[in-house]
Amino acid sequence: MSTSIETQPSDLSAPARDALTEMIASLADTKAALGRRYGEWAVSAPTLESGVAAAAMAQDELGHARSTYPLLTQLGVGSENEDRMDVQSSIPLLAQPLADWETFIAVNLIYDQMLTEFVSAATDSSFRPLAQRARKILQEEGSHQTHAAAWARRLLRDDRHADRFMGACTAVWEVAAQWPGDNDRYALLVGDSLVTGSPDVHRAAVCEHAASVARDAGCMLDLDTR
Amino acid sequence: MSQIRTWEVFARQRYDEPLHHVGAVREDDEELALVSARSIYDEQPWIHMVIVPRDQLREAIAA
Repeated sequence: MSTSIETQPSDLSAPARDALTEMIASLADTKAALGRRYGEWAVSAPTLESGVAAAAMAQDELGHARSTYPLLTQLGVGSENEDRMDVQSSIPLLAQPLADWETFIAVNLIYDQMLTEFVSAATDSSFRPLAQRARKILQEEGSHQTHAAAWARRLLRDDRHADRFMGACTAVWEVAAQWPGDNDRYALLVGDSLVTGSPDVHRAAVCEHAASVARDAGCMLDLDTR
Repeated sequence: MSQIRTWEVFARQRYDEPLHHVGAVREDDEELALVSARSIYDEQPWIHMVIVPRDQLREAIAA
């Protein structure tokens, strides 16, 4: 149970409100794009089981996007876009269908986890609607992490897939590492107890998570945290 | 890929009813099998679901 004081959007300074709006819009847009990309693999995943899992994760991500967009309305922007679906993502990686299953799992393991790190940092947000959604999202993200880690281990233990998967992880990380933005802007949110941590903390956590999964499979995955 | 196993899936909707066999999934990894079972057999509001490797079942009466 959070003990923080509730913040109303009107209480926020203009820079803090702008920073929060930017992060929430980016979270919702990225989840919408992730949902679309996951959904495309429902009919082409390597096994029937993973196709069903891809469809379930797509439904989760689209649901998270749908429930996050209304926060923008509460922040005074975006009311006309409350039910939008970002089909032209500003993130190049997600603007096109994912190239192969190795890329799908790399996105699942690294990009999805980066969003989850931010969501975890918002579970006690002083902006109560964000905290409520964050807690609900986290409940559903556990199975995404389990799916990603299990498939990552499977790919890394298979000589036919390991190199391609490592390459996909490096490429996905280049994009995912940029997602939380810079530390100074993020600090505006921390200052108003809207989130905890920092972009550097989130980057380090994602790197360690991916490296830990790789170690389980007997591999080294050393992503650059700079 | 390592060897694929078949996992039998059992679930129940109430604590006062026994686990029922609801289907099977095929995965080589236990964690993936759990994710698959929850994803595939989600048509009912289960309160409890377990999976068992088919090759660990023992016949008390052979069919």
